[in-house]
Amino acid sequence: MNKRDRRQLLIFFAMVGPGLLIYLFIVAYPVIYSVWLSFTDFNPNRGGGSSWSFVGFLQYKTMLEDPNFWHAFNNNMFVVFVSVFGQIPIGFILAYILYRRMVKAQHFFQAMIFLPQFLSTIVIGIMWKRAFSADGPVSRIIQLVTGDPTAQFDLMLYADTVMIPIGFALIWMYTGFFMIIFLANLQKMNTNMIEAAKIDGATEPQIFFRVIVPLLSGTILVSTVLAIAGSLRGFDLIFAMTTQGLQRNNAMVLPIFMYQTAFQDYSNQMRFAFGSAISNAIVFISILLIMLSNFIGKKLNAGEEG
Amino acid sequence: MKSTEIVTQKKISGIIGKILSYFVFITWTLITILPLFWMTYSSLKSNEELTRNIYAFPHDLFDNYNDEYIVIPPQLNVIPDYDPDVDKRERLIIESTSIAPTRRLMVYFLVKEDLPVRIANLKVGETLVISELPSKMRLKISWSTMWFNYTSAFVRGGLGLKFINSIIYSSVSTFAIVILGLMMSFALSKMQFKKISKVIMALIGLGYLISINSVIIPLFLMLSSVHLTDTHLGIILVYTAFGFPLAVMLATQFMKGLPNSLVESAYIDGASVFKTFLSIILPMSTPVIITISIMSALGIWNEFLLVLVLASSEFTKSLPVGVFSFSSLTSTQLGWQLAALVIATAPAMLVYFLFNKRLTMGVVGGAIKG
Repeated sequence: MNKRDRRQLLIFFAMVGPGLLIYLFIVAYPVIYSVWLSFTDFNPNRGGGSSWSFVGFLQYKTMLEDPNFWHAFNNNMFVVFVSVFGQIPIGFILAYILYRRMVKAQHFFQAMIFLPQFLSTIVIGIMWKRAFSADGPVSRIIQLVTGDPTAQFDLMLYADTVMIPIGFALIWMYTGFFMIIFLANLQKMNTNMIEAAKIDGATEPQIFFRVIVPLLSGTILVSTVLAIAGSLRGFDLIFAMTTQGLQRNNAMVLPIFMYQTAFQDYSNQMRFAFGSAISNAIVFISILLIMLSNFIGKKLNAGEEG
Repeated sequence: MKSTEIVTQKKISGIIGKILSYFVFITWTLITILPLFWMTYSSLKSNEELTRNIYAFPHDLFDNYNDEYIVIPPQLNVIPDYDPDVDKRERLIIESTSIAPTRRLMVYFLVKEDLPVRIANLKVGETLVISELPSKMRLKISWSTMWFNYTSAFVRGGLGLKFINSIIYSSVSTFAIVILGLMMSFALSKMQFKKISKVIMALIGLGYLISINSVIIPLFLMLSSVHLTDTHLGIILVYTAFGFPLAVMLATQFMKGLPNSLVESAYIDGASVFKTFLSIILPMSTPVIITISIMSALGIWNEFLLVLVLASSEFTKSLPVGVFSFSSLTSTQLGWQLAALVIATAPAMLVYFLFNKRLTMGVVGGAIKG
């Protein structure tokens, strides 16, 4: 390496350095820290000597034996289900209608449906909590429709049904995002295939299922990955929609379980280590699900061609 | 005969398709907009109105010309809006009989020497109507009645300070993200070290998989060991670091599209790398800078968990955390809560509608590559 190259390298690192250092310290290092933490019994308040020792898979074992974990896991799978089979199909259909110009005022509709994506999840959560409360606006609609002045919207109150209104709020909030993704990819699509299919006399549903869906299978897969990753780490909306205590425990998802373990459960000596095990489990589950959806996607594609 | 049949059939199915499409879109738009609309107009209603009819449009706080007030004695739970040690003038304390009556929330202190004699001599328990007051006082009371929910949210919820904090977090972090992120992107896309650049890009790309939520525990432990929890600096550093993946990705994509000859001719003219970056690349990147800024700023404006965990004092809390804790208090009136929600969403909505196209582009660019 000559002198000029060395100078260039120095300049290169002067440009990259400040940002990269912040990034490595604050994003990359905590990832390793989190993995390490989950294999220890770290307790910052322990007196005398070191505050930690290795315990192997103890935290993960405790986690898997904890019924709360499985309860949160099931709820979280429901959230994943709602986003993959609710937000994505609805978003796709909306995008398709816009793409085929079946409605006028396209930009107006697009802007309105995309809006919730950019509002504070906390505010939206509190708003839906009010809307779904026993004396709230939704109850009032039910009273007007059924003519029964004592009718109430009580799904939020029971453990069995609390996830239904939450699922609705999730669809309300994120469908616009998938609509925008699909719309952008539809517009980039080569239209020759559709024209050819039309000339061959294909009907509208045939064009949709035989031409457009297969062409967009890549986008569907990317959306699925985004939906899975997003719904497994989603915390704010459910946190804001529920009241601390029984209701939040009923609607508990893994990130809330992690938060309550690490930052609210002061009786647990190893709360940070245990919490880290939960957040690593969240990452692990999302990678597993993403691999699964990749696998299914490939199988389906192969089936189509064969 | 047959061909016309097919044509009419096609027409009919086309019309049905159109009607169905409009139905779907109008329904979905209404589902999106009506809750927000309800939230906004209800934030101008008094609590009594909200309990009476949850859907009616605001009325009581605006039509306040003939509101009746009752004279109340000075009590400990009536907090004066002036400093009694400095201002010794005698006051008449009145409370509304229609808005939050007897709760000591809607209370005014009228300086007795400015009042007509009859009103100044009213006894505790006697009533007056605000149209009887001198016009200056009447207008002031009338005006603050209209904005009762909003002033209460700001004063009682301490949202003013949190609003400023949110602005500091969004603007300072966004500024750092743009400057440092573009410096990185320039070096990664327009300088010669391709192998190192690839490694660094891959490293930053991995950041897409990690959110603040998934490393919040180690972040908290790290920042508390260097005493950066509950400080503006600590929170800004985290926001900046987590803003890099999107910024670097969008900016390198953009800069790769700029011709290399631009940079080379600047070097030939004797400009240094940093000078080239500042005076050629930065001005040319304005579109992508705007996209990055809006997306980062909105993301930070709405972020919740980090501040919830890191900020323990009122001094560092941001708007979403402030609104959340304010609305969790049972003493908070529903109207105030709704006003707080509007305060937190209005700036985001404004930015959204102003920059709708750029945001859409940014989201698409970020999602497809990520």
